[in-house]
Amino acid sequence: MLNLHEKNTFTTALKKIVLKTTTALSTYWKIQLIGWITASLYWGVAAFLSGHFIWKMGAVDLILDVAIGILLTHIYRNFALKNGWNKLNLKMLLPGIVLSILILSLLYMVLIVGKLYLVRLLIFKNETDSFLVFFKSVQLQVFITGTRLMSIWVLAYHLYHYSRLELETVKENARLSIMIKEAQLNNLSAQLNPHFFFNSLNNIKFLVIENPTAARRAIDLLSELLRNSLNSNMGRLISLNEEINLVRDYLELEKIRFEERLQIKIETSLDLSRHLILPFSIQSLVENAIKHGIEKRKAGGFITVKVAMENDFIKITVQNSGQLSNEIKGSRIGLNNMRERLLLQYNGNASFEIRQMEDETVLATILIPSR
Amino acid sequence: MKKIKVIIVDDERLAREEVKRALKIYEDFVLIGEAENAYDAKVLIETERPDLIFLDIQMPEKSGFDLLESLDHVPAVLFITAYDQYAIQAFEVSALDYLMKPIREERFAKAIQKIREAIQMKSSLNDSTSKDRKIFIKDGEKRFFIQLDDIYLIESLENYTRLFFQDKKALQRRSLRQWEEILDETVFFRINRTEIINTKFIQEVHTTMSGRLEVKLKTGELLEVSNRQSVKFKNQNGI
Repeated sequence: MLNLHEKNTFTTALKKIVLKTTTALSTYWKIQLIGWITASLYWGVAAFLSGHFIWKMGAVDLILDVAIGILLTHIYRNFALKNGWNKLNLKMLLPGIVLSILILSLLYMVLIVGKLYLVRLLIFKNETDSFLVFFKSVQLQVFITGTRLMSIWVLAYHLYHYSRLELETVKENARLSIMIKEAQLNNLSAQLNPHFFFNSLNNIKFLVIENPTAARRAIDLLSELLRNSLNSNMGRLISLNEEINLVRDYLELEKIRFEERLQIKIETSLDLSRHLILPFSIQSLVENAIKHGIEKRKAGGFITVKVAMENDFIKITVQNSGQLSNEIKGSRIGLNNMRERLLLQYNGNASFEIRQMEDETVLATILIPSR
Repeated sequence: MKKIKVIIVDDERLAREEVKRALKIYEDFVLIGEAENAYDAKVLIETERPDLIFLDIQMPEKSGFDLLESLDHVPAVLFITAYDQYAIQAFEVSALDYLMKPIREERFAKAIQKIREAIQMKSSLNDSTSKDRKIFIKDGEKRFFIQLDDIYLIESLENYTRLFFQDKKALQRRSLRQWEEILDETVFFRINRTEIINTKFIQEVHTTMSGRLEVKLKTGELLEVSNRQSVKFKNQNGI
């Protein structure tokens, strides 16, 4: 005898199996079966009420009606899927749908009338008229029924998919706008690196005594950077010229901080004012280079920024002393952010990569279309 | 009056200059050296034995925390940081103080006063067996400044040792052997191959049937002393 526990596990196992088979039947097949059985039952009931109803014949009719209905609509569904009709809007679909319904209704008529005749002739042997006479007597009624059923089916099918598509589009759009917002926020906080800011202020505090001219220059630079980060609109493009000036100011300030530990080179070989770029894009790469490259090295190192034209693309490179392995940990968010911003702005026509070079330097490259 | 010896550790020259300038007016403090990275600082601290270090946290290769962790003798520390004060606030047992760059003069004065008081409380400044000796340890994200005397048990775990202090535990990379070198042998006693105890925490000592000693600490641990160490313990304590 099973004890209570075993019984319980037995029933849960049973439930699992039942659940599995029911979930295995997709929504599509459930609706197909329920829909066609209901429609066929309706005809059965109608025949029953009309008086001369034979149970056996009613049962055979029911099964065959369901089979024909499912067969035709299933063929149509596969055809529609194959031709991507689910992704079209209703207006574009209309001609196809009308034609399909017509063909489906004709096929339905032929199959149903054929079925009615054969069932009566072969199983019940009570059909005396020739097929043609029989066909003519019922064709119109069956065709109208077919048109009605097929229209309902086809329209329901496409309306369902259309609403699904609509929903997905709304979801997708919402996700995109969240992504843009996040990118903006992340960048906003990345722009003004507080560590850099306070270190600069601290340095200026001493420079005022040691070298007042340098101190005054540093205050100008810092003010400019602060103004830029407060005023910037991350969604708008700025001229490459503005961005490079920002980078120059930033690096000049870092030079005050690192002194001989930082060597800077900026090379540009095109008319900067004629091209646009995402604000703070080069700046964030340079900041990254300082934070993970120069700052991490006792002896410091160099940063080289190059902007050049290459096959209809503007190529921007930032190269610095350092190891990429140390860099990845902290700044992955920043780098992904850069990728995302480029993707959103240039629809995948821009690229960004960062890699370790053999000579203990790290090279970051941005390629953006020149127009 | 004996002057308080100071070392400044910061990778930025201007930042060091600024601390120097601020410190100048306090005549009881004397600058005996400066370092621009943790390596130089370690050597300097070990040779010069300062009473106080002004320490920047973010430095190339090794941070201020790494430096402290590598020291057997940690002097008084004043952290100086541009922005990562949260790193210091995460301390389980707090450092003397921390200052944010740029440092306001009155804030600096307050820190100086705090240090004077802390150092005056110690009877002898540079006594290596001083009971006030502190070490700095890190266990994962947690950081502790602990008084050596607060440790009541150290147990060995293969290449690591686990420290028990207050109501906390921390894993350390030092071996028991290394701990023995640092610790005051009149206070700490190695009871067997894997454990060192602080004798000040002993509540009871029993002799077991086999003649070994069994020690019960005030914190509740019941530990067995090895044969050899039982004899040594008895001799040392005249049992």
